[in-house]
Amino acid sequence: MLSVSSVRKIFESPRGAYHALEGVSLDIAEGEFVCLLGPSGCGKSTLLNIIAGFVPVSGGQVTFENQPVSRADRERVMLFQDASSALLPWLSVEENIRFALRVRKIPKTRWRDTIDKYLQMVSLDTHRGKSPSELSGGMRQRLQIARALAVEPKMLLMDEPFAALDALTRRHMHTVLLDIWQRTKKTIVFVTHDIAEAISLADRIAVMSTGPQSTITSLIEVNMTRPRDLTDPAAGQLFKKIEQLLAPELLRLVELPGVH
Amino acid sequence: MANIQQSEASPGARTERMRFMLAWETWRSASLAFASIAIALLLWQFLSSVLFNPFLVPPPLEVFRTAIPMLVSGEILSDSAISLTRVFVGFVSGSAAGVLLGVLLGRIRMLHDLFDPIFELLRYLSPTAMIPIAVIWFGIGEMSKYFLIFWGTFFIVLINTTAGVWRAPLARQLAAECLGANRLQIFALIVVPSALPYIVTGMRVAMASSFMSIIPAEILAADSGIGYLLQKSSMLLQTNRIFVALLTICVLGFLVDRLFRLFVEKVLARYMSAVSQI
Repeated sequence: MLSVSSVRKIFESPRGAYHALEGVSLDIAEGEFVCLLGPSGCGKSTLLNIIAGFVPVSGGQVTFENQPVSRADRERVMLFQDASSALLPWLSVEENIRFALRVRKIPKTRWRDTIDKYLQMVSLDTHRGKSPSELSGGMRQRLQIARALAVEPKMLLMDEPFAALDALTRRHMHTVLLDIWQRTKKTIVFVTHDIAEAISLADRIAVMSTGPQSTITSLIEVNMTRPRDLTDPAAGQLFKKIEQLLAPELLRLVELPGVH
Repeated sequence: MANIQQSEASPGARTERMRFMLAWETWRSASLAFASIAIALLLWQFLSSVLFNPFLVPPPLEVFRTAIPMLVSGEILSDSAISLTRVFVGFVSGSAAGVLLGVLLGRIRMLHDLFDPIFELLRYLSPTAMIPIAVIWFGIGEMSKYFLIFWGTFFIVLINTTAGVWRAPLARQLAAECLGANRLQIFALIVVPSALPYIVTGMRVAMASSFMSIIPAEILAADSGIGYLLQKSSMLLQTNRIFVALLTICVLGFLVDRLFRLFVEKVLARYMSAVSQI
């Protein structure tokens, strides 16, 4: 469905060029849940922005359903870590979704059903009149998910969406997201630096190396049934394996204090 | 999640308590404001009858005695109305031009680089500095006052609007873009509303500056308005009337700012509450 082949990204700036990504290749199948995992500064958000179409590549190619990706597309909706910034704080919960339906040009006759359906899916249907500032962090993130689903994209791109939430809320959000994924069969690319989060969620984990010239160092299949129990020995082994993969990268990060 | 549900379980008790606290706060700040003004007036009365020459610093009772016939005859009212109209026309046109151009400069990089150096230089010309040339250009009629207030408002609103447009969160714009919004929609439905708190702040500052610039403009180049009343009274050494005019400026500025805030709270509240979120 989505294919990233030998992508290179160099950021040019007056202070010099930064070679962020080199030789990144990844194929994502329809309905798959892929996590991009790596320490901060590994270019995983850059890769996600390239997949979204926000940032052009310097080399290589990204194709979505065999069409080259050159700009943002309604089929690939991005969800941001800071939901307060991403949402429209002057609109209510319901109006935020209505905004999406309006810019997506969905016929008005379908608005009511669509709004009801997705607000129920994220359990916000009793909060439709509230403004985003009246919601908790987890509720705001759920609203962002509902708003993305309302335009019925094929793919959700999530940039550390739960990193700012407390641990309990984050675990609850994992359950919510997996439930939605299983019901809607969306393809999800999920960026995280949290190994446990990647193991709980992903079909496959793409482990990335620290920049400059980051790349995907290994692709790990997670063959465990969901809901996954992280205290399970298999999960423990996987955790250890990924930790060992990341250890040299973390070391490099310490030795390169200028990189961020 | 647990504590959210808990707080939702007893909304009645919570709002009751909050209403009480709000009423108490309002009462407290109102009575303190009253006390503050009362103390100032008492101190003024005492100082001008004991320390200062009452002719140079007329005591408040004397000022009020002078003010009453001026109020009854409608003199203050008509002068106030004239000054307020000038402020209003200059402020509204200056704000409109400032917002319009500010939005464009904030959005189009090349336009900004082209115009910013000019504005960076021109904004140091206060309205007062522009009075002599304004009189030559427009005479001492209404137009010169409109121009001066316009001049003072325009730059403040322009700079704030540009800053607000710049700071419209990128995530909000990108999110709208992938939901399907086109460039015009992102501009009109995301960027401008996100900049509103900055625009409103700029307008409030500009409003205060308008009140400060209308007075010198009327002192130097007018035959009506509060500034002219000040000038005329000064020529005739009527210190009582000068103080009445000064107090009128204080009251008018305060009332207009309150009205503006009320308007913002009633009409733009949902946009303003966004500030704390960004």
